[in-house]
Amino acid sequence: MDMTKIEEIIEAFQEADYQETLAMLLDYSDSLPQLPEKYIEQRDAGFNRVPECETPVFVWIELNDGLVHIDADVPQESPTVRGFVSLLVDSFNGVTPEEVQSAPQNLVHNLGLDQKLGTRRMFGLSAVYNRIRSSVKEASGLQ
Amino acid sequence: MAEYIHPEVLVSAQWVADHSNDPNVRIVESDEDVLLYEVGHVENAIKIDWQIDLQDQLIRDYIDKEKFEKLLSDKGISNDSTVVFYGDKSNWWACYAMWVFKLFGHENCLIMNGGRQKWIEEERPLTKDVPNFPKTDYKVSGTNDAIRAFRDDVVEHIGSGNPLIDVRSPKEFSGELLHMEAYPQEGALRGGHIPGADNVPWATAANEDGTFKSADELQSIYLEGKGLKEDDDIIAYCRIGERSSHTWFVLTYLLGFKDVKNYDGSWTEWGNLVKAPIEK
Repeated sequence: MDMTKIEEIIEAFQEADYQETLAMLLDYSDSLPQLPEKYIEQRDAGFNRVPECETPVFVWIELNDGLVHIDADVPQESPTVRGFVSLLVDSFNGVTPEEVQSAPQNLVHNLGLDQKLGTRRMFGLSAVYNRIRSSVKEASGLQ
Repeated sequence: MAEYIHPEVLVSAQWVADHSNDPNVRIVESDEDVLLYEVGHVENAIKIDWQIDLQDQLIRDYIDKEKFEKLLSDKGISNDSTVVFYGDKSNWWACYAMWVFKLFGHENCLIMNGGRQKWIEEERPLTKDVPNFPKTDYKVSGTNDAIRAFRDDVVEHIGSGNPLIDVRSPKEFSGELLHMEAYPQEGALRGGHIPGADNVPWATAANEDGTFKSADELQSIYLEGKGLKEDDDIIAYCRIGERSSHTWFVLTYLLGFKDVKNYDGSWTEWGNLVKAPIEK
């Protein structure tokens, strides 16, 4: 069976050393797609924010023809969080809700980010991931 | 109009720009966001990450003398380098890094007022180039535990009449919040503050642009406002000692207090300690 996108990414991160990890996250941070016009007002009004993350992270989840679509916004000045959110967008855009559910519960740990970046930074990241998972679950009606 | 007692320790972005190629100067960036340096940094700045580089990876403590010597030697910092620190979040982490350098007795330490935020606001250039300074043979000649308070020092301090400054937010101080809003993993089993502590949130000492307030304003907050005196024996704490090192810097260098200690165990230790007394 082919690896899912998230499995490929986990593998890449597990094989990466500290500098490579930073470089990959930075690439992700730079390539987070721009937030669609239709969400800008909501973002500015504070809707769809992930409250557990100190950095302002905004996430919208939709299902298009049964496939997950994620839009997100994170300030440029928080590249670590922005990179991680971009990684999630890259992993889960266009996949089935089941594939999102099958991804590891403790993704931040599987990516090795806690060991490489320090545990203090991880809570907000886990909160964003959990938010995406629960939103997908809700949107798809999965149990 | 009052002056800072040690004004020479705070330098402007212009000063750093003028000295970025000075062989006797080493610029150090220390941030909360581990990727900010990679996004771009002041020319010739060295990255020192407080979690990866300055902490012992096994026990809760800073690195030891040998590791500190190796870290600085590898980074190309020598014993007589003037090290100027800057970072994000109003220089919280820059002050924390400077405090650690002072623990190991590094003599010439400066802070770039306003940190990253001001540098960027002033539209100064950032680079991704990582400097490659020749290795040095850094030697720690004497450590300075006089600026560090441990749990037993705090126990003695309570009831001694000496000031204890809690620099957390008012809600953490009162125990309404067990942790800073976004950092629940740094919470504690109990909320409140160390008995007798006074609450002076760290941010009272900083301006919106990340710079430190003027000497007049600082005197009004700490001396007139809280009745602190420059020969008081003061212990400052927060959650893990990073915000309180910002206050340590203010009290020691800007207000000239002679005996300020940072209790790095802070609330993550005290609030989890069996039988430790607490006030709300």
